[in-house]
Order: sequence, then structure tokens, then C-alpha cells
Amino acid sequence: MMQNPIYFLLKQSRSTGPMLLPRLVHSSVTLQRNAESGGAETSDMPIEIENPFKKEKVVCILCKMKIEPDYKNVRLLSQFVSPFTGLMYGRHITGLCKTQQERVASEITKSQNAGMMPYYNKEPEFLEDPKLFNPDRPVRNHEY
Amino acid sequence: MLTYELSMLLRTMPKEELAVVLKRASTSIFNQGGIIRNIDNLGARKMPYKTSNHGVVHKQAHYFVISFTAPPSKLVTIESECHRDVDIIRNRIFKVNENANFECTLEEELKPPPYRPEVIKMIEDARKKGKKVGKSTFKFNTGLDYYPFQR
Repeated sequence: MMQNPIYFLLKQSRSTGPMLLPRLVHSSVTLQRNAESGGAETSDMPIEIENPFKKEKVVCILCKMKIEPDYKNVRLLSQFVSPFTGLMYGRHITGLCKTQQERVASEITKSQNAGMMPYYNKEPEFLEDPKLFNPDRPVRNHEY
Repeated sequence: MLTYELSMLLRTMPKEELAVVLKRASTSIFNQGGIIRNIDNLGARKMPYKTSNHGVVHKQAHYFVISFTAPPSKLVTIESECHRDVDIIRNRIFKVNENANFECTLEEELKPPPYRPEVIKMIEDARKKGKKVGKSTFKFNTGLDYYPFQR
């Protein structure tokens, strides 16, 4: 270790303080040798951190807001229903995860069965509710 | 014992009569060994579709939800008793949803098909099926390296 003059000078400069170093012509060979001699002792080695450019996990709107679909909450369920047919939109349009889509679908059938929600249309009072998605611009293409 | 919800649509009528009908429904639950936890009044409103029951067409109803606990075997009796009640237009018993613990899988679902876990599993299954695991081709044991008979 001590045979390497550059390393020796560097070490001295660290212990004594700032110091003028001779200008060296950097070649790949010397740099490599430095890295070998320095090893884990040098503090400017790459440190392991989490990827700072990692994107946030995509979560569906019901999971994000932690909303439990309920058959009594007709207003919420109507937002996932087509005003023309009264049927629920597909997963490629609603943008829900698989589990939530199934839950909403089952709650809609319960609600319709209990006489709280219409089968063939959307309640006219809910027609102007805020839109959660645009049926003309699906999240993904239709499977078929 | 599980918690259930009895959702009822009552005929529109004055308050005193509503109380009598609710009392009748709750006594039918009590008689079957049930416990009522809560009674919710969702108000009187127009029904989303007209319903005819007991020979009358109803377009308006008073909505009530009774949450109760009762043995599962007695639910049929409670339901049939409500069904026979002339003032109840429609009644349904639903199990109360338990708090489901699940992770949102939307991110995996948005990936292109070959990266989706369910598609990867499907491909693997098809590969296994093609190999016919556990099955072998029939051997004639003739000692010949060709088939001696006419095909």
C-alpha cells in the first residue's frame, strides 16, 4: 500500500490538511491501481441507496381513497354504471383493480336486487355527478 | 353467529303504522333467537322501478335496513315471514361484508401481457400440459426398432 506514491500523498493530505499535490497525467492504469490499493478504505466509493428514480406504485381510486363499496351507497355505485344501458363498465374503462371491480359488480347486483338501483338506466339525479373516467378513452384497449 | 342485514321496502304509510310493521319484522327475528343491532331509516323515496306485490303496484317505498345477528339456519324463516307481510313490498337478507385484506394489483395488471403474473402462470401451465407430465408413450417390446405390422 505504502509503495504507491499517490496513495501516500493522499493519506498525508488527509491527516495534515490541505496540501498541494503534483499534477499527474491520469491514465486508466494508474486510476485502476488507485482503486485497487484504496479498496474499501476510501470514503468516495459508491454507496448503496434505494433507486431515487423509482416510480410510485399505481393504485386504483377505491384502494387509494380506501372506500368500501356498499350496496346502500347507490350514488357511488352509479358512477361505475353506464347511463345508456345500466350495466357496469369494464375494467379497461373504470381503471379499478381486479378485486375492487368484482366487489363493485357484486354490490351493484345486490343493490338492484334490493330495489335501490335501477336495472336498465342510471338514476336521472345522478347523471350530472363528477365523472371518474371517460368511457371514450379507456385505460387499455378492449380485450377483443 | 354472523351479522346480517335485512333490507326492507315498506308501503308508504303514516309513522305509527310504520312502527307497527317494523315491530312485526323485529319480533319475527327475536322469535328465531336473533339479536337486533341497529335499525336504519333510509327514508321514503321513489323506487327505481315499479314493483307489484300482494296485488298492488307500488312506485314509492319507505326504505329500512335492520342489521341483526341470527343463526344462519333461521334466515329462511325470517325471510318467508317478511315475504308474507302485506305491508312489506320487498325484502332481502345480505351478509355484512367483512373487512377484506388485499393488495391493489392494478400496477401488475397494467403491464404488457408477457410481464403479467397471471399470463406467466398461464404460459407455464400450457407448457406443463404439452409435456404430459406422468404419461409415457406405449412400448410394444418386440425388440425391433421399427413397427412390424401394417398401419
